[in-house]
Amino acid sequence: MKNSLAKTPLYAWHIANKANMADFGGYLMPLWYTSAKNEHLSVISGAGIFDTSHMAVLLLAGPDSRDLLQLCFTQNLETCTGPKRGPLTAGRCVYGAYLNQNGEVIDDTIVSQTGPDTYLLVVNAGMGGPVAEHLSRNQGNLDITITDLTDKVGKMDIQGPAAAKIVKKVISDPESVLEQMPYFSFKGHFDPAAPGSGTVRLKDGTPILLSRTGYTGEFGFEIFLDPANIVSLWESVLAAGKEFGVTACGLAARDSLRAGAVLPLSHQDIGHWPFVNNPWSFALPYTADGKGFTKEFIGAKALLGLQHAAYTLSFAGFDLRKVSLPSQVTDLSGNEIGTVLTCVTDMAIGRSVGRIFSIASPDKPEGFNATGISCGFVKIKNALAPGARVLLVDPRRKIEVEIVRDIRPDRTARRPIRVMA
Amino acid sequence: MKELSQIVLPKDISYTQNHEWLRQEGDEAVVGVSDYAQDQLGEIVFAELPAAGDAFGQGQAFGTLESVKAVSEIYMPVAGEITAINEDLRNDPASINTDPYGKGWLIRLKPDNSDDQKKLMGRAAYLEMVKGKQ
Repeated sequence: MKNSLAKTPLYAWHIANKANMADFGGYLMPLWYTSAKNEHLSVISGAGIFDTSHMAVLLLAGPDSRDLLQLCFTQNLETCTGPKRGPLTAGRCVYGAYLNQNGEVIDDTIVSQTGPDTYLLVVNAGMGGPVAEHLSRNQGNLDITITDLTDKVGKMDIQGPAAAKIVKKVISDPESVLEQMPYFSFKGHFDPAAPGSGTVRLKDGTPILLSRTGYTGEFGFEIFLDPANIVSLWESVLAAGKEFGVTACGLAARDSLRAGAVLPLSHQDIGHWPFVNNPWSFALPYTADGKGFTKEFIGAKALLGLQHAAYTLSFAGFDLRKVSLPSQVTDLSGNEIGTVLTCVTDMAIGRSVGRIFSIASPDKPEGFNATGISCGFVKIKNALAPGARVLLVDPRRKIEVEIVRDIRPDRTARRPIRVMA
Repeated sequence: MKELSQIVLPKDISYTQNHEWLRQEGDEAVVGVSDYAQDQLGEIVFAELPAAGDAFGQGQAFGTLESVKAVSEIYMPVAGEITAINEDLRNDPASINTDPYGKGWLIRLKPDNSDDQKKLMGRAAYLEMVKGKQ
């Protein structure tokens, strides 16, 4: 099957730079280059870049686009942005999921509104087809065109506290571009014909879509552009970011960074079970009392009618040892209570004086040494409060971990851009 | 990842199917993992090793090597009793990556019998086996 795997435009670069490659979502992707640990740490302390061209991109256009999203997407587009819960408008994006009638996840997504009637939907590798099919099946008489742009869009992420300083060096007119750019907003467009195109250009004139989003929990951007230009952007970012320690990162670092930031991996932490009782309830349009939803959408009825649903909870271990999947979760007496969804090591954190600190924590104790902590998600039958202890069990070892609300402290994703640029 | 031609495989040691190596030193033997194995694992962040005095049979798992992404078991090339473990790995587990046949050694052991060694491979046979995996 090896020959049927897709390659991104950066494939030759990955090979030339000795990446350890593996199949991910039907694409041959870098797992790491020389050290997944250093790649992870560089995103906390400086910046890392990720080839994310394997992600699928759909374009929704037409006067009824918003109505279809209100039917198929978990967020209520009229009340989903900012602390005041304003509507989604052009230049803003929002995280959510597409559910089936049973309230189970088809895929998760970031929806970006690019114009009055146009939306870009970024979904996971290989999911462009299934999500497009789900949307068109529910389209009815709505006036909408759904286009799969996956092969026409290149994508790379720059993540880490130095990301804005690096982006500044590779785009034209950086001051005005990076001014007023809140978390989950974007500017520009990769399609020269699209509205907003030209707002953000690389120094050579290439139009890009620059989005203040990512999958690491750290400050940074996702960049969308013509795939023909991505290798040159990748190389110019590496050159521009040298002074900030920018590092090319593979999927291993991406996985450990996102787990430490309590972000789910679709089809692993969320999937074919009801999308409730998990750390991502902010993606559902709950009413203020939490008993209902502010809109009707596919899957809503099933979620509200659930009698008993499993709980997905984040955990942190006490050292860096992991279990390998598949693994069971037991209580401290050894009774099976669930399964492990994700177990990775966040090498940027460690425990000291009874809590977790990160290498980026301003209040870390003197001489703090981040020894790494295993972390991830478990799916268990009944709710457990933060602080509860459980065992993760694989054939090789049993490790005791703690149910936690959050994992890696002092993340930078939401920092105001004016202090980061 | 390294090309096959870049994998370092010393001639004076024996190899196992599970990618450990063994070097006879007097009546003891030193054990580690091959350059091929460390390259496949990626940077090792933790080595879980037994204690001196523990005894294992040939092919039995005696510890684990942990990279950011994976946990791999390490197996005894020959039956024997552990006489020492590499304490320096506690602070520098990545020396298994940078110097797999030197500073990155894992354990010293006293073999139970010399027959076990006949089941190990020399450099050429091990290289052929690794080639088959490419």
